[in-house]
Amino acid sequence: MTCEVPFTTNDYKTDLKPVWCPGCGDFGVLNSVYRALADLQCAPQDTVLVSGIGCSSRLPGYVETYGINSLHGRALPIATGVKLAAPRLNVIAVGGDGDGIAIGGNHFVHAARRNVDLAYIMMDNEIYGLTKGQAGPTTPEGDKTKSTLYGNPDPAVDPCGMAIALGASWVARGFSGDVKGMTELMKKAIRHHGFAFLNIISPCVTWRGDDQHKELRAKVQQLPAGHDVTSREAALRFTAESEHLTVGVLYEVKRATLVDHFAEVQRKARGNKSVPTREDVLAVFRPPV
Amino acid sequence: MKSDITLSIVGSGGDGAVAAGDIISMACAGTGLHVIKTEAYGPQIRGGESSSTVRISAAPLTSQADSIDALVVFNWADFARFADEMNLADDCVVFYESKDAPPDGFAGKLIPVDFAETPKSKNIVAVGILTALFGLPVEGIRAGIRHRFSKKTAAVIDTNLQAFDRGLALGAETPSHKLSFKPSAPRLLMSGNEASALGALHAGCSFFAGYPITPSSEILHFLSEWLPKIGGTCLQTEDELAAIGAVVGASFAGSKAMTATSGPGLSLMAEMLGLSSIAEIPSVIVNVQRGGPSTGIPTKSEQSDLLHALFASHGDTPRVVLAPCDVEDAFHTTVDAFNIAEEYQIPAIVLSDQLIGQRRETIDAASLEHEVRRRRLPAPSDDAEYRRYADTEDGVSPMSVPGMAGGIYQTNGLEHDVTGRPSAMYAVHERMNGKRTRKMKAIAEEYRLFRRFGSVEPELGILCWGSSTGSVHEAIEIMNAAGRNVAAFVPRILAPLPIEELQDFVDSCPRILVIELSHSAQFYQYLRSQIDLPRTKTLVHARSGGKSLSVSEIMQMATLEEVTA
Repeated sequence: MTCEVPFTTNDYKTDLKPVWCPGCGDFGVLNSVYRALADLQCAPQDTVLVSGIGCSSRLPGYVETYGINSLHGRALPIATGVKLAAPRLNVIAVGGDGDGIAIGGNHFVHAARRNVDLAYIMMDNEIYGLTKGQAGPTTPEGDKTKSTLYGNPDPAVDPCGMAIALGASWVARGFSGDVKGMTELMKKAIRHHGFAFLNIISPCVTWRGDDQHKELRAKVQQLPAGHDVTSREAALRFTAESEHLTVGVLYEVKRATLVDHFAEVQRKARGNKSVPTREDVLAVFRPPV
Repeated sequence: MKSDITLSIVGSGGDGAVAAGDIISMACAGTGLHVIKTEAYGPQIRGGESSSTVRISAAPLTSQADSIDALVVFNWADFARFADEMNLADDCVVFYESKDAPPDGFAGKLIPVDFAETPKSKNIVAVGILTALFGLPVEGIRAGIRHRFSKKTAAVIDTNLQAFDRGLALGAETPSHKLSFKPSAPRLLMSGNEASALGALHAGCSFFAGYPITPSSEILHFLSEWLPKIGGTCLQTEDELAAIGAVVGASFAGSKAMTATSGPGLSLMAEMLGLSSIAEIPSVIVNVQRGGPSTGIPTKSEQSDLLHALFASHGDTPRVVLAPCDVEDAFHTTVDAFNIAEEYQIPAIVLSDQLIGQRRETIDAASLEHEVRRRRLPAPSDDAEYRRYADTEDGVSPMSVPGMAGGIYQTNGLEHDVTGRPSAMYAVHERMNGKRTRKMKAIAEEYRLFRRFGSVEPELGILCWGSSTGSVHEAIEIMNAAGRNVAAFVPRILAPLPIEELQDFVDSCPRILVIELSHSAQFYQYLRSQIDLPRTKTLVHARSGGKSLSVSEIMQMATLEEVTA
């Protein structure tokens, strides 16, 4: 669609005020979403944001595109349905680490391996914020939270490593304190042909403390020049670091998407025949003569 | 001469019992006869016991038969697995493998046959025997055999045609039980699951997502073949949570979308019923019931998902539940489910069951017509200030789809106001609950779906639903022919019920008999909550599924005088 007047970031803002706490990393993510959509000139009516449940899953309500703030863990199946029903739409799934890896973990597995053509932005705060401070799947082992008073017994999941292992065709990490860098990553994720997983480290000032943000900011570093994005091994060296937080596109390969697959299925099913009539279908049930 | 016969073939995997039943059924359908074919299996994936039972009649059929007129047994051990569920007629003829001695004390007319002489085509020998015994259409069956083996070599086809001739000769030695009929126009032969899938295609469904589960998977199979041919999409998901999620997503994007499942899957889908209901996104679920709870009895029918279908999901969650009475009705209720879901932006469940879903029945192609409705889209004039959840008289607000510039909205599973903005206010919650519930009133007005048959002024009224209808229909015909005055009322829409007509029926009957295959009498409990159904005049026959409801069982209940509700 061509537009005489280009969309500006303001065109993507709704009049709903975010419920997030002051200082929440998700504000930065939201700003990047506005900028990325404006930079790419994604028509609001042709864009759909789908989320699950959690602090970050409130995001679609703040973006003036079509949007669904759905059920806990179910953003990806719904987004998959939207994309397959209307492949021309820009479909962006958003949510938190608990939403995507704990309750929605099974859908993450299968959306990645199917290479569903959508961008999936995971705002990772290492905690359940909306329910007020329980351990999540990315909470570090040993951390004391409201639900792990004697220390978190579970090792943290490595979301980017998981996405690469599952077959995601594009995997990147960003930091919510770096709006400019995040915006560029989002634009690449939206443009990527296939399942693009963008893990954004988005600190929770309320339940992880002010220090978390400072500590993370100090750890942020860019990917070294010459990183081979097509190498799983190279990418996995940066996914589960403890000393640093490496941001950038870790992994990128080209492979057929689920939309490509179904286009091929339709071609095979049809063959060189025209669209079947009602009579063609009923013939299946007619006795042979 | 008989006008109505039932035959059954029992064997192990590889014996071809089911294929034999298919060939006979198809040939009879091709001659215009009425056929109902059921299959039963042991729990094994392959190689277990299986039985194929075919009822054939010159007149329309509504249920499988109570008793079997001719039985073929390749192996008595397999028969023993089904013996409890097989009622042999007094004059039943039993053809059995001569190398396998019948069990001691087995009563019946036993005829040994050397099936083992042609081990690979013994089922076709059986087809020949039964064809000769009942005078079934010989040429139609020959055509069926050629069709069945059309991808095999000419030698294989010849071998099977010879086996058929050998069977014909063997069957001719037995005193005839000829079926009396006049050939007429061919009928279609299809299962209820296929009819549901066909209903979906007819309604304009372009998206299906599902997870395999017995006894509903044939719907997934059929649509995975046909949806891509019409430019649609059939997605097998990782679980039922994702299946209904993808349906809601596709529907949000403007497609007519459906999933199909059975009890365990419907349990998982409960959460998305809530979202579909509160966000008012149309969705269609075909639930083919099996024995429950939990894994229950996956291969056998029961009517015990009723209360779950009616009430699943936390919160006040309007949804529509329809129930087909037979195979043809599975087509119509599925189209109605789409019509209602799309027009009223509500989840609609088709509550089928294994007996309807997996039995194959003859139907007339002409009966597969049904009006198709569409979603109410915003008018261009709505664009100025589009309110996705505008509070209208019937509760239905025009629904935009992505791509419409003036229709942009953000929806959610949170309570929301008329624009879709989240709200935790009581006043908004009460108003929007009212709006969503009002749609049920409008649906109840428009869709008064029920069957009422039997006596006009009944002494006894039967209330039943779903697959029980067929046996009840036959029982009433027999009883009324013998001078009784019995009638039945069968709602085809269970939520919202056709309350007025149902209450009138109950009031007009001095006595009521409720019949259902649910041990806890779910249908009766539901009726008690919806209408005035006096205990003092009501008898309840509620038992577990796992064995189909027989005509004689209903007639026996209908003769009881005491009231037990």
